[in-house]
Amino acid sequence: MTLLYTHEACAAHDPGPHHPESPARLAAVLSALAGPEFAALDRREAPEATIEDIARVHPRRLVEGLLAAIPKQGYASIDADTILCPDSGRAALRAAGAVAAAVDAVVAGEDKTAFCAVRPPGHHAEPNRPMGFCIFNNVAIGALRAREVHGVARVAVIDFDVHHGNGTQARFAADPTLFYASTHQSPLYPGTGAASETGVGNIVNLPLRPMSGSNEFRQGMTRVVLPALAEFAPELVMISAGFDAHRADPLAQLMLNESDYEWITERLVEIARDHSRGRVVSTLEGGYDLAALGASAATHVRALMAA
Amino acid sequence: MTESSIPADIAAMTFEDALAELEGIVRRLEGGQVRLDDAIQSYERGAQLKRHCEQKLSEAQQRVDRIVIASDGTVSSEPVKLD
Repeated sequence: MTLLYTHEACAAHDPGPHHPESPARLAAVLSALAGPEFAALDRREAPEATIEDIARVHPRRLVEGLLAAIPKQGYASIDADTILCPDSGRAALRAAGAVAAAVDAVVAGEDKTAFCAVRPPGHHAEPNRPMGFCIFNNVAIGALRAREVHGVARVAVIDFDVHHGNGTQARFAADPTLFYASTHQSPLYPGTGAASETGVGNIVNLPLRPMSGSNEFRQGMTRVVLPALAEFAPELVMISAGFDAHRADPLAQLMLNESDYEWITERLVEIARDHSRGRVVSTLEGGYDLAALGASAATHVRALMAA
Repeated sequence: MTESSIPADIAAMTFEDALAELEGIVRRLEGGQVRLDDAIQSYERGAQLKRHCEQKLSEAQQRVDRIVIASDGTVSSEPVKLD
């Protein structure tokens, strides 16, 4: 009946006042998942990821160096957007650990579906460079754990965050056992994700013009992303669930609404049913309008629970 | 009250302690059960506590390191001077 992984440490990561990736985001998601209709969620505390898990995506030297560079007080900036506070290391370890634990539980058959309500997000974190609010690439860490530890032969990540997941693509692009597909606004940060970026035939990018709405999103998914995903025949479906393509989001100009998140989640659940024994592991990425974020995450989780 | 009038006992306080005492004063004043003399004294102490809290906050915000990642993955950090 869907696992929900989170940890209070994820709320302690504070990139500073006026930063859109705020602790209030996690509170909005968890409060939207607090109602009686979500009472059946199997709520679990996210463990800390191990260095070994993270090192399948980021060089060990970088991981250890970053954890050592966590400031004792004040802030430390990786770039203008990516700011660490004294609690950021623990948050980043729990965020990655949530996805790793969700993969373990879903592959072990404890449940078919899982959602990780975590921050910092992960999909911009490239193997050699944390960036764009992201420290470790949580979804990639989960995908690599599925393959290396559990022998899952083919792992797919579908990323409907409004930004392109350059970090996930960078880790997956040369590896035909991994598949990455992204719908995202273009032009927009981080500037990657052109349709011509196809990896070794395992990367699908669907850039959408600003002001695109439900029609463009659903048609693109139906014509391009979902057929490619089905052809890849994933043994595990993972979702980079950012909700910043919502029309209310302040950081982008796509015009999706909650029903689009219900629709895409149902489609991904169907593909998982056909190819992956129903196994879906989803993790939170972006989404910066608190009300839209909460409502969208609730819609997404509702569709996972109905799987 | 002059700018230099933060008493030593307040200057030695942590941000959290100063904020807690300030909140206590606000509650008492709002409760309206304080004599006028005490209220004025409380108000002055409250203002000093507030100034101390603001100083502590601004000190914390000034403390920003820049993390530098070399191409071989080596991470270093250096303090950044803010204006």
